[in-house]
Amino acid sequence: MRRDFTLFTIVWALVTAASLAVAYFILRDMSFPTHGAEEASVIDDAFMALTYLACPVFGIVIAAMVVALLKHRSSGPNNGDGERILGTGSLPVVWFGVSSLLCAIVIIYPGLTGLFELRDHKDPDLRIVATAQMWAWTVEYPDSKVKVFGAQELVLPKDETVEVDITSIDILHSFWVPAFRQKMDAVPGQINKIYITPDRVGDRESDAAYRLQCAELCGLGHAIMTMPVRVVEKAEFDAWLKQQQSVTEAK
Amino acid sequence: MTRVVRAPIVVGLVLAIIGFAFGAGVLGAIRTARGQSFWEIEVGMSVGYVFALIGWLAGVGGWQHWGREWFGLEAKPYTLTGWKRYFGFSPDHKVIGIQYAVTFIVVFLLSGLTAMLIRVELMRDGKQIFTPDQYNAAMGFHGITMVAVAVAVLLGGFGNFIVPLMIGARDMAFPRLNALTYWFVPPVAVLLIIAVLMGGWESGWTAYPPLSSLHTKHGQVLFNLAVITFGLVSILGGINFLVTIIYERAPGMTWSRLPIFVWGAFAASLISFFFTQALAAALLMVLLDRIAGTSFFRQAEGGSPVLYEHVFWFYSHPAVYVMVLPGFGAALEILSHLSRKPLFAYRWVAGAMIGIVMLSGIVWAHHLFTSGMAPYLHAPFLVLTEMISIPTGLIFLGAIGTIWAGKLWLQTPMLFALAFIFNFLMGGVTGIYLADVPTDLHLQDTYFVVAHFHYTIVGGEIFALFAAIYFWFPKFTGRMYNETLGKIHFWLMFIGFQLTFIPMFRVGIQGMNRRIADYPHEYAGYNTFISLAAFLLGSSFLFFVWNMASAWLKGRVAEPNPWRASTLEWQVSSPPPEHNFDEIPVITDTPYGYGGGPAHHRPFAGGALATEEG
Repeated sequence: MRRDFTLFTIVWALVTAASLAVAYFILRDMSFPTHGAEEASVIDDAFMALTYLACPVFGIVIAAMVVALLKHRSSGPNNGDGERILGTGSLPVVWFGVSSLLCAIVIIYPGLTGLFELRDHKDPDLRIVATAQMWAWTVEYPDSKVKVFGAQELVLPKDETVEVDITSIDILHSFWVPAFRQKMDAVPGQINKIYITPDRVGDRESDAAYRLQCAELCGLGHAIMTMPVRVVEKAEFDAWLKQQQSVTEAK
Repeated sequence: MTRVVRAPIVVGLVLAIIGFAFGAGVLGAIRTARGQSFWEIEVGMSVGYVFALIGWLAGVGGWQHWGREWFGLEAKPYTLTGWKRYFGFSPDHKVIGIQYAVTFIVVFLLSGLTAMLIRVELMRDGKQIFTPDQYNAAMGFHGITMVAVAVAVLLGGFGNFIVPLMIGARDMAFPRLNALTYWFVPPVAVLLIIAVLMGGWESGWTAYPPLSSLHTKHGQVLFNLAVITFGLVSILGGINFLVTIIYERAPGMTWSRLPIFVWGAFAASLISFFFTQALAAALLMVLLDRIAGTSFFRQAEGGSPVLYEHVFWFYSHPAVYVMVLPGFGAALEILSHLSRKPLFAYRWVAGAMIGIVMLSGIVWAHHLFTSGMAPYLHAPFLVLTEMISIPTGLIFLGAIGTIWAGKLWLQTPMLFALAFIFNFLMGGVTGIYLADVPTDLHLQDTYFVVAHFHYTIVGGEIFALFAAIYFWFPKFTGRMYNETLGKIHFWLMFIGFQLTFIPMFRVGIQGMNRRIADYPHEYAGYNTFISLAAFLLGSSFLFFVWNMASAWLKGRVAEPNPWRASTLEWQVSSPPPEHNFDEIPVITDTPYGYGGGPAHHRPFAGGALATEEG
């Protein structure tokens, strides 16, 4: 029994260390799509915090299984019984207490703290209206009366906070640009808002994370209900907007 | 010839057709009288189906063996014997258990085959074999049939067969209701298959309006009728289990001596009984929006699409615990008997199951974090959802405490039960990311979610199902399966499963959303790998089917108790006699007496429990 606990502790430490190393050195850099907006930090940090917390818990279960499988195999039902351990002592109480505490930690950080950080938005520098329909997006820049549709590009300025007003004219759709992380459904008759502050220049041609993708099943054209996204410097954005305005007026 | 004509299924089919013609005909007559066309497909199918269902249930035996009594006539005796019992109306819980288990395993294999086709389509970007339309049909069919299998295969198959034996009862509390409940299942399967043949429906298994209520094909109506019918199976089955477990326990079978599988079945039945109505109501509202012009979800007339999401998940989240609680029970049962160790922290584990039932009803809105529902609902549902990890953690404590210092006999059921612990650990841990609002905003509706729920439902429940199938196979059939084939099945399934679903977490985080027939070229590498791994996973079932078929037909005859387990079902012959017990046993101890000496291995009194040797 004593040897079992020693082996358990060693395996637990190894599994925990190995999984933490994988999380820190591999997952942290390689898992996420391009970090394209300030708000993405909240989400990516929360993801990593949960992963680090999960490693020792994962280790406990794996270590217990490894000990049982290495040391306590039997070739049949007639080799006597295992020890009569009923688990009526204090271990379940401690387990209950520790898991409740862990749960409380996860609820507070990264749960509620992240939630309130995302909710705590700044005044937007730019407002756009994203309207979904089966199976294309229309994005309007109301202040400059510019409109892009379908396969045209959604262009956004870097380092400006954008308020996106999301709605639909027919059924449920969902607004999602993987580089910006946040997702919000487009509901007919309702305007849902998210706030995005792009902090990196990027475009769809070089990066699949820069695509506006419908993320709520909407029938036949669901997979192709996308719009390329491009984030540019503010000056370039202003020039683009002006050029689009003149195109609109020429019509 | 007359024998074939009188076979219950044939009579049922004939009465179903007559019923359909009657319903659709009366409706058509009314419509004609009002100056409308005689036949309108969606209303016609709905009304016709109600009468077809009544005809089917009456014809398959509901009238002969039950309905006649309501009119002062004598009910006909049950005359079918041998294999024919499985194709008729039988009140024997052991027959019904096998009816459920075989039906749902056939549906499972059919639905798994659909998953293979989906993986062929997704192997590369661009079109392979499916148009987007066919893809949606395949995805919807895979989704709803697998949900149905997951809800009913363990409870319906193993719950029916094993629970009465385990608690020392001669049958379920309501045997005829039990038979009737099973016969609701074939119409569900037939409706869904017809729906696919008619081109399917585009709204997946979740059927969100307005897509489902204003658009999609006629198959949507059949889908709704099927799921409402299936809801009846769940509710009626739930009542039967609750009453059986409360009232039919043998003397001395106190609540603290119940085998843990019975606790799992009891907890799952509580959820089926209390929550299924919400699903049926949600789908009925969609149906009425389509065929009767109501406006529950028509935004233009004051309806709300988000309302549906609330009502739907009010059932459909608890439903995942209907799936997995009997899985917990089966896995823990097997871990205890094949480790020859008492179930660790029994009272905590049983309490945790009831805790899961209580929490299950107040976490649904974590499916709506990105729906645009009122933001003040985010924090409470985050807190409540994360709290599910506490009772689930106690289940894990029970599992690892039970195998600790045991004598692990690594036969096929034990391998599946151990894999259940690992898989559900992966599923449970990744669930935290989806309960956490910030990470969920990114992960919602991606392949991360697909991987998560396959780890909990397939990795958890379905691995526990296969543990249960191999464990109880000798009791069901009186024959022993082939251990080598069982182990090949296990290793192919376990390795194929990990290789299929671990990369899905990754590609989901990377930005691949779910339920799409095509995806950006950047994700093609992952998907090719996932598809190849999925084919490996799929191939494991060839060994399973071969093993089951050959063992059932000509396998070695099994002894009554090949596992030397101390629960009651192993004390009777394999298969058990029709009346289960010659005399009802008196229970004197818990079934987990391992390590307490021979006195604890027979926790019951009453001498020979069965005389008929299988």
